[in-house]
Amino acid sequence: MIRAWLFLIGAELRSVARDTAGLIIPIGLPMLILVTNALAVPAEALGAYLLPLVLTIVIATIGVINLPSFLAAYRTSGVLRRLAVTPVRPAAILGAHLVAGLIQITAGVVLAVVVAIAGLGATPPADPVLTVAVLLLATLAMFAVGLLIAAVAPTANAALATGLVVFFAMGAAGGMFGPPGNLPEALARAGTVVPFGAAVRAIGGAWDGAGPDAAPLLSLAVCVLVPGSAAIRFFRWS
Amino acid sequence: MTPIEVAHLHKRYRRTTALDDVSFTVEPGEIFGLLGRNGAGKSTTVETIAGLIRPERGTARVCGLDPIADRAAVRRVLGVQLQSAALHPALTVRELVRLHRSFYRDGADPDRLIADLGLEPRRDTRFQNLSGGEAQRVSIAVALAGRPTVALLDELTTGLDPEARRHLWDVVAGLRGTGVTVLLVSHLTEELERLCDRVAVLDHGRVLGLDTPAALIARAGRATLEEAFLALVGGRR
Repeated sequence: MIRAWLFLIGAELRSVARDTAGLIIPIGLPMLILVTNALAVPAEALGAYLLPLVLTIVIATIGVINLPSFLAAYRTSGVLRRLAVTPVRPAAILGAHLVAGLIQITAGVVLAVVVAIAGLGATPPADPVLTVAVLLLATLAMFAVGLLIAAVAPTANAALATGLVVFFAMGAAGGMFGPPGNLPEALARAGTVVPFGAAVRAIGGAWDGAGPDAAPLLSLAVCVLVPGSAAIRFFRWS
Repeated sequence: MTPIEVAHLHKRYRRTTALDDVSFTVEPGEIFGLLGRNGAGKSTTVETIAGLIRPERGTARVCGLDPIADRAAVRRVLGVQLQSAALHPALTVRELVRLHRSFYRDGADPDRLIADLGLEPRRDTRFQNLSGGEAQRVSIAVALAGRPTVALLDELTTGLDPEARRHLWDVVAGLRGTGVTVLLVSHLTEELERLCDRVAVLDHGRVLGLDTPAALIARAGRATLEEAFLALVGGRR
């Protein structure tokens, strides 16, 4: 059934690639933020904060906005119902969506990193393996949140709206619109615990070589487990 | 082995009774029709056979297998076109047929299937840009991609213009003799009279009659299946 799985992943990637507007936010928006803000940040400091923020935006937009809106649209229109009467196992269908999301995230991350290092003079990551591992953990955490949204949203529009609200709420608390230092203290502290802020901190720690703190890593792990298992529990196919 | 066998199916949705003691058997190679008005229980029957609905009582068997307990085995022999289902809108005809072909160990040649269904000129068109008749032909192609023993075709021609409808009738008639057993669901009497070896008439979840179209017509003393159908369900409105 590996063959069926590869075909399903191909089908999802084609569907995403043909929905050109859907790629503007996850790939275009973070690039814009990177390039415009890079002018105000010394090149050697890019890796500490701005680049982790941009990479987190790539991961979060695909995981929390795009993934649930596709899945909810498939459920509303009956695509999931049609797949449910084929021999493909439900886990393989969800897995194909996650792999397709991971491929998009990889493309967005590689693009942003290449622009930051080659174009803007950022320092390469101090520990590339650790950085990739942290990026993967952040991806899993955002996927878990996205799957939970897909599981509970009644329609495709509801999934998109919920995804956007969750993304901007997490982003605002996590420093997307300015340093968390400018936020009220309680909100700033909450922002470091929710997956967005935790991802920014963990990626930054891995990138600049200081090593990620335990707290954001723990937050991300909890975020994989709790929304992830809730999503599995509540996911509906029709 | 009996392709489809349902016995004493009962199913209720809140207060409405969808299926009330539905039983019938479909023989190998047969094109069997399920006729009824909207809400008669046709789709509930099909979805029970496809394993999407669990009946409260009674049993459904596909080639002797339970659609829920033997989920994987049933799905390997079943090709389904559902009223309530859709295909990936952004994929082309050829991509969809190849995708669904990949779900089965043995199956039809996608390009051959596309040609057989008259979809050759549209093979690189996205599903969302097809006409209603073309989209229905693609859903048949996809249902046949795994070379099923049993095909369930639910409301195949509903909403189509007469020409597209006739084209689909030719496609279904062409399945006769290929070894596929077909359960064809419709509220169009003309369609079932033309295509089916036998027809079960369903109303308010009950089987009111089950026979060849000719015998149903003769028993009612009418000229067409439509008149025979109306005579059968007439007193029950």
